[in-house]
Amino acid sequence: MAEVDATKSLSSLLNGIAQKVYYNNSEITEELLKSELYPEMSPDEFTALHDKMKGLLKSIATADMDHAQLEAFLTAKTKKQGGGGLSAEQAAALSRFWKSQRVRVKESLVAHSRWEPSLRGLSWRVDLQAAASRRGTAHSGPVALVELELGRTGQDSEFVCLEFDETKVNQVLKKMADIQESIDRIVHST
Amino acid sequence: MPAAEESYGINKVVDNICRISPDLLADVCQHVLTYLQGQKRGVDSAEISDRFQRAEVRLDHEALQDMIRFLLLTFRSAGKSNISGDELVSKLEEGSTKWTKASLQVLHKLWSEYGVSVHTQQEAQAMLSIGQLVDMQWKLGMAVSSDTCRSLNSPFVCLLLKIVEPSGQICQRSFEMTIPQFQNFYKQFKEMAAVMETV
Repeated sequence: MAEVDATKSLSSLLNGIAQKVYYNNSEITEELLKSELYPEMSPDEFTALHDKMKGLLKSIATADMDHAQLEAFLTAKTKKQGGGGLSAEQAAALSRFWKSQRVRVKESLVAHSRWEPSLRGLSWRVDLQAAASRRGTAHSGPVALVELELGRTGQDSEFVCLEFDETKVNQVLKKMADIQESIDRIVHST
Repeated sequence: MPAAEESYGINKVVDNICRISPDLLADVCQHVLTYLQGQKRGVDSAEISDRFQRAEVRLDHEALQDMIRFLLLTFRSAGKSNISGDELVSKLEEGSTKWTKASLQVLHKLWSEYGVSVHTQQEAQAMLSIGQLVDMQWKLGMAVSSDTCRSLNSPFVCLLLKIVEPSGQICQRSFEMTIPQFQNFYKQFKEMAAVMETV
């Protein structure tokens, strides 16, 4: 029973650390984790455990370890004696955690290193411009209105509103086809 | 505000403005201000011309147009700078020595009353402004490594849009997309094109 509890607590600790470090959950603090998961442990002991797990997680995430790399890494740690070592249960917990959270942690790291605004949303509609004339040009035919929602990580969105006639849409489509072509070339060669 | 080097033209317009009665001036200004507050679709110079005829004021077509244009420009720029009635009068006096007290009073009174509303309308319009795409540049990049992750290996598409706004100003906007995001973006545009074809 105790072992299952210990495993559960460790898994929860790892999740808590990920929430704070990678998922921007400001409600999770070291104190909260201790009081929820390891109320009986001494503060020093908990800090040591917390820091150790955090350090290991960061190493694993920074290197974006795959399965083989992770196993090698954890095995090496379990073989180590003393404070730097890991118990088999701890290694197992880390392995389980990374298997389930790797993609999400990676996404968070990618988002963090993105400094240009990203496309948060896109909506559009097509109007039929019945009458002329905007700025003196006769403009009958369909007009597309596109609203782009742009924003940097952690900042409010900005909305950019654009209108396109058919010619413009086709020009844009041509460029997008070029982009897709480039993507296909590169993705297939990696 | 009208530029100094056009002072001959300005003085002529100001002269004409100051010749008409304060009531007539108030009417013309009201017409312009109603439009700038968004309550009318445009300034109907034919209507104003009729008003002048009824008041038996003779003013040639071009002079009237100049007058309307002057008032539009004056009120529009006052709205953009969000200035008070007093500030407006100072600015006008700076621009021409031909102003009469009576005319300035009319302008002061009307601007004090409607200036804020004009400014608000301009702000609202700026938010709704719809631009047109002038140019689109793209790049396909690969985020390799960062200080928080040594192997990001994350491809991304970056677009740089050159947009011309209704005001005529050209601005640039850039943004990044992941590959799946780009493909959705592409798909949306294809759908748009399909709809436009059938409309």
